[in-house]
Amino acid sequence: MASDGGGLKIDNPVESIESLSKEVEKLKARLEEERQKLNDVALSTVAERLDPLPTLNIKPRRVLKGHQGKVLCSDWSLDKRHIVSSSQDGKMIIWDAFTTNKEHAVTMPTTWVMACAYAPSGNMVACGGLDNKVTVYPLSFEEDVSSKKRAIGTHTSYMSCCLFPNSDQQILTGSGDSTCALWDVECAQLLQSFHGHGGDVMSLDLSPSETGNTFVSAGCDRQALVWDMRTGQCVQSFEGHESDINTVKFYPSGDAIATGSDDATCRLFDLRADREVAVYSKQSIIFGVNSLDFSISGRFLFAGYNDYTVNVWDTLKCVRLTILYGHENRVTCLKVSPDGTALSTGSWDFTLRIWA
Amino acid sequence: MNNKQMSTLQQQRKVVEQLRREASIRRVNVSVAIEDLKKYIQEHENDDYLLVGFHSQKANPFREKSSCTIL
Repeated sequence: MASDGGGLKIDNPVESIESLSKEVEKLKARLEEERQKLNDVALSTVAERLDPLPTLNIKPRRVLKGHQGKVLCSDWSLDKRHIVSSSQDGKMIIWDAFTTNKEHAVTMPTTWVMACAYAPSGNMVACGGLDNKVTVYPLSFEEDVSSKKRAIGTHTSYMSCCLFPNSDQQILTGSGDSTCALWDVECAQLLQSFHGHGGDVMSLDLSPSETGNTFVSAGCDRQALVWDMRTGQCVQSFEGHESDINTVKFYPSGDAIATGSDDATCRLFDLRADREVAVYSKQSIIFGVNSLDFSISGRFLFAGYNDYTVNVWDTLKCVRLTILYGHENRVTCLKVSPDGTALSTGSWDFTLRIWA
Repeated sequence: MNNKQMSTLQQQRKVVEQLRREASIRRVNVSVAIEDLKKYIQEHENDDYLLVGFHSQKANPFREKSSCTIL
C-alpha cells in the first residue's frame, strides 16, 4: 500500500466503510427528524374547508385505432392536435387527434417501443425501447420518415422514457440501466449522465419552472430523484412507495411531484417541504398505476391503472371523484393536452382514446 | 486494499455526500407548502377546461361534430 505512491491515505478501509455507514444512518435519521418537524398539518384537513367540485363532464370523444399491439407510450404535440404513440409491435404512429387520421406510421427495428416524445417544434419525434437506443425521426410529407432517422444515443439496457427539455436540440432519456442521460441531438453525443438510482428508471418529467434546468426521475428502486440538469447532481430524493414507481409528473407550479406505483397508490411529494404530503388510495383499488397527469390548474390528478380504468382524484381533498371507463385492457399512458382541453389515454387494448 | 473495497468505499462516500447535501437544504412547513399548492389552483382554475368546462361546446376542439342540416 505504502509503495504504490497513489496518494491513498486510508490505512484501514474496513473501519472507514464502517464509519461512513454510521454516518449514513445518522444523516438518514436526521433527515427524517427534520422533515417530520415541519409536518404541521395534513393536506386533506386543509382541503376540508374547500367547496365541493362541480360534477365532472368529461366524456370519451375519439378512439384512435391502428396499432396492432399494446400501446405503450404517447405524447402530445404543442399544437394540441397531433399525438405520437408507440407500441409493442414496433410501430410508431403520428395521429391527427381531431380527425383520427394517421399521418405517419413508422416501423422500428425493435419490438416494445416503450418511449416516444414530440419535439417542441412539432417537426420531429424521438422514440426507442428494447433496442436500448433513442432515435429521432424528422417529420416531413415529402419523403419517407424512416429515411431521415438518426440514432442519438445508446443505453446499456432498454430505454423506458424520453423527452425534449425545452428545445429540439437535446433529449433526456431514462433507462433500465438505472441511469438517465442528456444527449445533444445535432452531434448525437452524451452531454451528461445521471447516476443515483438503484434500479430501472421508468419515468421522467421536466420541471415546468422557468429555468427548466430541473427534472425528476423515478423507477424500480421506489425512489423519485430530483436532478440539476447542468451539474448532473441529484438534489432531492423521495421515498414512500412500497413497490416500483411507474410514473412521475410535476405539479403544474413546479413545487411538487406526483408518483404512481405498482403498490396501487399515487403520492404527492412537496419539494419545498421536502416530504410526502398526500397519498391517493382506496381499499378497493388494488391494481398498479402506470401513468398519471394533472389538469392544467393541478386540481385533478388523472391516473391510469392496470384494472383498465382511469381514476380522477381531487388533488387537494385526496378523494376519488370519478372513474373513466372505456379501455379494455391496462391503461399504460395518459397525458393532458398542452392547453388542458383534453386527456389522451393509451392501452394494452391497442387503442388510444381522447377524453374532453 | 482491493478493488472491491475501494469501490465500496467510494460508493459509501458518495452516499454520505449526497445525504449531507440533502440534509442541508432549507425546508418550509407543510402548511405553507399546501397553501401555495392551493393558491396555484385558485389562480388557474378558470383556465382549467376539464374542471370548469367550456363556455360553449363550440369552444371544445374535441366536441362531437354536430349533425348540421343545410336548409
